[in-house]
Amino acid sequence: MKHLRAVNKKARRVDSYVASLGEDVIALQNGGGNNQQPAQRPHVPMGCALAFSPGWEVDSAGGTAGLCQPVERDIYDCYVTCFWPAQVPDHLNNYPDWASKCAAATKDWRNLDLVFP
Amino acid sequence: MENVMKQVAIALAVILISGTALAQGRGGRGGGGGGRAAAAPAPEEGFPVTDPLVVQKCGTCHTKDDKGNLSRISWTRTTPEGWEEAIKRMIRLNGLTITPAEAKSVLKYLSTNHGLAPEEAKPVMYMPEHRIIDEVIPNDAVRATCTNCHALGRPFSWHRTREEWQLMTTLHSALYQQAESAFRGGRNAGGGGAAAAAPASGSEGAAPAAATPVLDQTLDYLGKNYGLHTPEWASWRARMRAPKITGRWLVSAHVLGKGKYYGELTIGQGVAEDEFTTTVKLTPVGGGPAISRTGTGLVYAGYSWRGRSKGTTAVAKDTPDDLATEMREAIWISPDQSSGEGRWFWGEYQEFGIDVKIVRATPEPLLYMTDKYSLKAGSQAQRVKVYGNSLPATLTAADLEFGAGVKVKTIVSHTATEIVADVDVAATAVPGKRDVTLGRAVLLGGLAIYDKVDYIKVLPEASMARLGSDVHPKGYQQLEVMAYQKGEDSKMHTADDIELGPVDVAWSVEEFYTVLGDDDREFVGSMSGTGLFTPNVDGPNPQRKFSRNNYGEVWAVATAKNEKDKDGKPLIGKSYLVVTVPTYIRWDQPEVTK
Repeated sequence: MKHLRAVNKKARRVDSYVASLGEDVIALQNGGGNNQQPAQRPHVPMGCALAFSPGWEVDSAGGTAGLCQPVERDIYDCYVTCFWPAQVPDHLNNYPDWASKCAAATKDWRNLDLVFP
Repeated sequence: MENVMKQVAIALAVILISGTALAQGRGGRGGGGGGRAAAAPAPEEGFPVTDPLVVQKCGTCHTKDDKGNLSRISWTRTTPEGWEEAIKRMIRLNGLTITPAEAKSVLKYLSTNHGLAPEEAKPVMYMPEHRIIDEVIPNDAVRATCTNCHALGRPFSWHRTREEWQLMTTLHSALYQQAESAFRGGRNAGGGGAAAAAPASGSEGAAPAAATPVLDQTLDYLGKNYGLHTPEWASWRARMRAPKITGRWLVSAHVLGKGKYYGELTIGQGVAEDEFTTTVKLTPVGGGPAISRTGTGLVYAGYSWRGRSKGTTAVAKDTPDDLATEMREAIWISPDQSSGEGRWFWGEYQEFGIDVKIVRATPEPLLYMTDKYSLKAGSQAQRVKVYGNSLPATLTAADLEFGAGVKVKTIVSHTATEIVADVDVAATAVPGKRDVTLGRAVLLGGLAIYDKVDYIKVLPEASMARLGSDVHPKGYQQLEVMAYQKGEDSKMHTADDIELGPVDVAWSVEEFYTVLGDDDREFVGSMSGTGLFTPNVDGPNPQRKFSRNNYGEVWAVATAKNEKDKDGKPLIGKSYLVVTVPTYIRWDQPEVTK
C-alpha cells in the first residue's frame, strides 16, 4: 500500500477506513499481553449522565459522535423537559429564567448563563 | 405551543411539590415517634439540633419534636459541600433568607454535628477534591437509580435513614421528571448493564411496573450501607475534638505534568478555634523557582480541611496552569491530627490540581520524600536527595539505607531537613519499591529499583477537556506520562507493576476513529510540548458538517525519547481524550472554603 496514494475523496475515506481497522487489529493483539498499549475503549467519564438520548457530554458509546450537531440544537429540549438535569439547568423548578436572554440557542448561545446550584 | 407546555409543566410541578410537602410532614412525624403503619418498625432516633441559630433559621419549616429533632435535618448527615448545597437550595426554592455570616455559622454547625466520620468521608473525598475517577458502582439498581444523572459520589456523600432516602427520591421526582422515569421503570430502568458505557437495557417508553423493585433495591442498599446510624459516626461523635493543628507541617506534593514538589506549610490560628491561616513554600525537586502561597482555611468535624490560598507573585497571563493562581484546598486530616492528604485545585472545572500530603513536623527525625521515583539496577554514583525534618547533625553513609543491593557511597551534604547522597545500585538488586530508612525514621516505598522500562502510560487514562471561550471558559486537560516495569506476574498493566516516574516524551494528538472522515483532530484543540491540552472554542462551527461543535475524541499520544521496546521502536503511551461541550451547571460549593 505504501506506493498508493489517495487522490480523491472516496479514496481518502478508504484510507481512513483502513487506518481505523488498524486500531482494531491492535486491540485484538492485546490479548497476548506483550504489546505496549492495552485495548482502551471509549468510556463515560465520572459524572456524565448515563441516560442517553443522545447524551450531553458523551453518547452511549462514550464518544461525541452521537451528540446533537451542534449541541445548541438540543439545549432547549434539555432545559424545558429537564432531560439532562445535572448538566443543563431545568426550566420547571430551579431556573425558570435561565434562557430568557437567549431566543435561539444556535445563535445566542453566548448569552446562556452558567449556574451554581 | 411553548405556553401550553409551560402551563402543563407548572401544573405538574404544583402536584408534585404538594406530594413532597406531604412527604416532608410525614418525615417530621416519623422522627417524632409517630408510626407510618401499624407494621412499620419503630422510627430511628434522630440527632437533635441544639444550635439556636439553626433552630431559628430552619425551624420555621422543619418542625421540632419533643426531643429537639428538626424534621428531615435530624435524620441526615453529610459533608460541608452537601450541607452548603442544601442551604442554597432552600434559598433558591423554599424562601429561606439568611445572611452569608449566618449561613457560615449554620454550615459549620451542621457539617460538624451532622457530618460524616473520617472513615466515612475518606472514600468520597474525591468529590470535594474534584477528582475524576472511575467509580465502582455496587449494583445495577444503584446504577439505574443514581448514576443515570450524576456521579455516585454525590449520593454516597450522604447518610440517612431509609425513610429519609425515600423522601429524598420523592424530592427528586418532584423536581426532575427524568428522575421519575429512572426510579419507576420507564426509560433506562433496570440499570445500564454490566459495562458502564453500555446503553441501558430498559425498553423506551415501557409502562411503569406496578412494584418499584429498582428503586426499592436501591433504597434498601442505601439505607443499609449509607444509613444514619453507623459505628463510625457513633465513635467519632464521642471522639471528635477541636483541631489543634497550628505549627509546622512538611509537604510532599505532586503537580500533574510538573512533577514532585517538597516544602513546608505553617498553620497559624485564625479568628476562631476552627479557623486558620496558612503560609506554604513549595520547591520543585527538579530545580526551578519555589512557590510561596498564603491562605486561610477552616476545619469541619475535627478533620475536614477546606481552604483557599494564592501565590505571592502575580499570575502570568495566558497560563491557566500557573501555580500562583488562587486555589481551593480540600484535605482529610487524620483523626490523630498528625498527617493529612488531599488536593489543591483550580480551573473552570477544577481540572488543575496538586496532590498534597502533609505530615506534622516532630522533634524526632522524620523522612517524608525523595527527589527520585526510581533508580536503575547496575547504575553507579546516582545522586539522591532525601527530605526530612529534625535530621541528626552527624551522619555517616551507613546510617541511610535503601534496602539490599543499594549502597550509599557518600553523603554529599546534609542539613536538618535534607540529605544529599550518592548511591550505587548493584546489578543484582531486586526490582521493586524500597523503604528509605534513617535510624528509626522510615519512608515507606520511597524509591523504586528497576532493571527495564517495559511500558509507559499516559495519565489520566481517560480524560476530558471542554470547549470554551470567554463566556463559558475552557476546561483544559493536563496529561502526564508514567513509566512502568512489569511486576512479578510478567504481565503489563497489572496491579503489581512498579511505578518508575515520568520519562522524556514528545506529545501529539491522533485521530480516534469513531466516525470516518470527521477529522476531529483538526478541530478539537492543541497539545503543548508539556502535555497540556487546550481545547478549541465552543459554539457551532460552520466549517464542520451540520455545524457540529468542535467536539470529538482523540488519542493523546506520548512517544518516549529514549526508552525503546524489544523491537527497538520508541515506547508509546496513549490515552483516550474526549473533547466535549461545556456544562451549564457547576455542582460546586466554593463557599465552604471561606
